[in-house]
Amino acid sequence: MTLLEVRGLDAFYGDFQALFGLTLHVEAGETVALIGANGAGKTTFLKCLVGLTSTKRGEIRFAGEPVAAEPAERISRLGLTLVPEGRLLFPSLSVEENLLMGALNRRPGSWTLARVFELFPILRERRRQRPDALSGGQQHMVAIGRALMSNPKLLLCDEISLGLAPVVVDQIYESLSHIRAEGASIVLVEQDVKRASSAADRVYCLLKGRVTLDGPRGLGLDRLSRAYFGT
Amino acid sequence: MIWVETIINGVLYGGLYGLLGVGLALIVGVMRVVNLSHGEFMVLSAFIGVSLVGALPWLHPLALLVPVALIVFVLGFGLQAVLINRVVTRPDPFAAILLTFGVAVVMRNLMVEVYGADPRHLPAGQLAHASAGIAGLHIGVLPLLILVLAIVLFTALQLILTRTRFGRIVRATADHRDVVRLMGVNPGRVYNVVMGLSLALASIAGMLLAIRASFTPYSGVDRLLIAFEVVVLGGLGTFWGAMLGGITLGVAELVGLKLDPNAGPLYAHLLFLAGVLMRPNGLFRGRG
Repeated sequence: MTLLEVRGLDAFYGDFQALFGLTLHVEAGETVALIGANGAGKTTFLKCLVGLTSTKRGEIRFAGEPVAAEPAERISRLGLTLVPEGRLLFPSLSVEENLLMGALNRRPGSWTLARVFELFPILRERRRQRPDALSGGQQHMVAIGRALMSNPKLLLCDEISLGLAPVVVDQIYESLSHIRAEGASIVLVEQDVKRASSAADRVYCLLKGRVTLDGPRGLGLDRLSRAYFGT
Repeated sequence: MIWVETIINGVLYGGLYGLLGVGLALIVGVMRVVNLSHGEFMVLSAFIGVSLVGALPWLHPLALLVPVALIVFVLGFGLQAVLINRVVTRPDPFAAILLTFGVAVVMRNLMVEVYGADPRHLPAGQLAHASAGIAGLHIGVLPLLILVLAIVLFTALQLILTRTRFGRIVRATADHRDVVRLMGVNPGRVYNVVMGLSLALASIAGMLLAIRASFTPYSGVDRLLIAFEVVVLGGLGTFWGAMLGGITLGVAELVGLKLDPNAGPLYAHLLFLAGVLMRPNGLFRGRG
């Protein structure tokens, strides 16, 4: 079953066009990596999906419903959520309160506060602290946990390995396999091409707002880098 | 002894000033907007109180605090929903501030039109002048009640913001108003309730001020000035800071009046100026 279907998506920042006729799909239960250089339009694309960018045209269907014209607060209730770039935790809220924010739209499912603490045990110890007292990796865990609390059908992750030590990145990717096991589909936006393409079922490459590659896992680095750099 | 009395009365008066500022601090903290119609809503509340006293003369003005606060809550909710939400998400914060300035001007002139420009005040009967002798000091009963009420309201606001689900949503919206949308929260709806709360607090302060001193439709500017000083002195967006800022200003004003009976609130303003020069982040906020 196709969970997400995007056809001919254009997006704009003022006069600047960031996406050109993007077409892409994600099947239920699938993990898709979206790679591309800085400025390729990856973050813009994710913002279009969740409804945070309003200057766009094209078709976006999520779980069969057209959502391109819906506001972000409606889309989140359908089970499409984002772990934003830079985490964007709420600094005035404790770790636990940050996680509880994710549960506001009351979507039923297997993810609860207790389950998130099981996935990231360190967060249970740190539950009363403010997020800025946590390490970068722990803050990523809060951001992922907050998104999971809404029991998403599709979890969008924007640069969740950025600025983390390799051993912490391993932990984060390890947690993704648990999240997949619960049935969620995942879109991974990454600059780390190798890691993303090995964690995903399929890889899309974006270059200057266009899809330059749509291929299965295990494509040679050679083809990936040609799509990545456009040579 | 007379100085101790002055300082105690200043503290009591300052509780009212804190109440004047806390609603403004709430809006600054949550929306990053200075509501320039804050003072006009205080004056409007007092006029609503005067009208209700006229209609229900057997009712004590203090009993009107709750219904007037409810009416003004609804007005604030509507103001935010109909007008301010249209501009508050723009990157330029001036749009919202100018809009509230326009609201203030329109309200002021409407109040002149409806109520006339004569000074009015809210009669509180015996209570307005009653005083209690405590340890040889004369302490006004009404100011004491006002301080207690202010502390109760501050505590309630603090508990709502820190302990409830609604408070969590308000703080999160203040932090990142786009990110809360990913959790199904409509920031505009949060702002509506917050503006209602802010102006309900302002209405209580406005009614109490109108018992202490007379007012005209033009009094809003003075009230806004005090509220603004309270908020800045206390540290923008902090509530207990606003309370302490109010008390500081209240003491400065009464001590100033004792030294120089013609000074009016001059000494409070001077203290404010000195405070801003020395501690631009507020007297009661840590560095940075």
